[in-house]
Amino acid sequence: MASNEMSASLNDGMAGEAAPKLTKKDLHRLGIRSIAEQAGFSFERMQAPGFTWSMLPCFEKLYPDSKKDMSEFMTYNMEFMNTEMHMATFLMGLELSMEERHTDRNLIAGIRNGLFGPLAGLGDAIFWFTVLPISAGICCSLAQDGSVLGPILYIAIWFFMAISRIWFAEAGYNVGSRLIENIGTTTKYLTEAAGILGMMVVGGLIPSYVTLAFSDDLVFGVGSTTVQSVFNNIMPNVLPLALVFLVFWLFKKKANVLAIILGIIAFGILMSFLGWM
Amino acid sequence: MQGLLLALVGFICGCDQTFEAFYWFRPLVVSFFAGIVLGNVELGVACGAVGELAYLGLLTVGGTVPPDPLMAGMMTVVIAYTTGQSPDAAIGLSLPFALLAQWVGIIFNTVYVSVAHKCDEYAKNADVAGFNRIIPLALFIKAGVVALMVFLCSFALQGPIQIFVNSFPEWLIHGFEIAGGMLPAVGLGLLLMVMLKSRNVAYLFLGFIMATFLDMPNVLPIAITAAALAYINYKHEKATDDAVAAVKASAATFDGDDPDGI
Repeated sequence: MASNEMSASLNDGMAGEAAPKLTKKDLHRLGIRSIAEQAGFSFERMQAPGFTWSMLPCFEKLYPDSKKDMSEFMTYNMEFMNTEMHMATFLMGLELSMEERHTDRNLIAGIRNGLFGPLAGLGDAIFWFTVLPISAGICCSLAQDGSVLGPILYIAIWFFMAISRIWFAEAGYNVGSRLIENIGTTTKYLTEAAGILGMMVVGGLIPSYVTLAFSDDLVFGVGSTTVQSVFNNIMPNVLPLALVFLVFWLFKKKANVLAIILGIIAFGILMSFLGWM
Repeated sequence: MQGLLLALVGFICGCDQTFEAFYWFRPLVVSFFAGIVLGNVELGVACGAVGELAYLGLLTVGGTVPPDPLMAGMMTVVIAYTTGQSPDAAIGLSLPFALLAQWVGIIFNTVYVSVAHKCDEYAKNADVAGFNRIIPLALFIKAGVVALMVFLCSFALQGPIQIFVNSFPEWLIHGFEIAGGMLPAVGLGLLLMVMLKSRNVAYLFLGFIMATFLDMPNVLPIAITAAALAYINYKHEKATDDAVAAVKASAATFDGDDPDGI
């Protein structure tokens, strides 16, 4: 690999002035701040507002005077985001390590969009399906015997889990830094690869994130064929897929976002009122 | 006074319900705090254990998992305390309140789409101060509403709220549920606006087909498949680029007297 040449040329590129760097303290603050990662959660963009907000001080340090960079950074981070919270902090560290080294922003955005889905699977497996049942199981059995130790131990365990985000921020930053040193001239290929990963993962997320199906009670006339079974025979999840592309097409036609959202809410209430969904 | 303190517990745990960080929104913790406020810690701990197990799906209440863990934990203690019911009976009676809190949560997640759009505006103008205003505001409004609900449900309007929930037109809330299921399509649609290129659109369908027809716990298998495909694509492109470069180089040596080297 041409990694040696690459890191050399990277250093050349930034040798002019001492580029601002993130310290351990900045990363610790990032870890703490990322506790608010889900503030401003909504069905549409999910965790994006809190995710962006958590990183702002670190990014301000890296690009103190550039409004243009800040705007670009905020904009790509305001895209859809939904992942497990510890993994979100990891991803923040990863992004910032790449921003620090002035990596092509298309590549960073590609990596962000490609990784949040798989990281969510990983994080949920660790925290939601392992730590939670075990800690709750132990603490509940203590509490059932009337011991105050139950809730206190539970609080202590999850306090530690929350604070461990500091470590996840550092881990993300370190992984990102090492990654950058090795990619070198392959940036073009890597951007392409991140695009492939992102597209495939987004395709895979559509069935689990978007729900749109007719009620099982909705049948054609007096027969027993349900409307939904017709769509399922074409292909399961065809309605969520079609909805995503409808929205995409409307955006291409420069449709107003607010109108689309209000349309969806009105549609939901109407369908519910008619009992069709 | 106790009502206000319970509301304070609701506010603090409500903040954490947004974060999902310290797990203070779980019944085990909420009930513990509520027990302290009401001066019956033992009852709080006992209710917390019942609520936590129910919310893990290990115990079901009338065949359902309670919909909102914070409110379930809070109201189980309050009902057990005020009526003298056992924790097991109290958690059943807390269901309408947990249901109400779930509805309010769904409405917040819908209305807060506007927060994301305000943030888009701030992003366009690189307005950090705007972000610093709206994120805490969004957090505190939501936690404040939780606190208000706790206050009203616990003492003042316990009876009327129960009646209200039981007679509420459920189709209206279900409508918001349907909309909530559809709204992520807007976020994903916006994401596609940046990511989708004719070059990589095929992969979207591959991922979609895998997720639809394979039984997978999460998207990790898709990500690994995507990485493998990306690697094949990389090898292929690299070979093409190298071949092009080689042709160019040999062409350059062939008519070597060309000063441009082309």
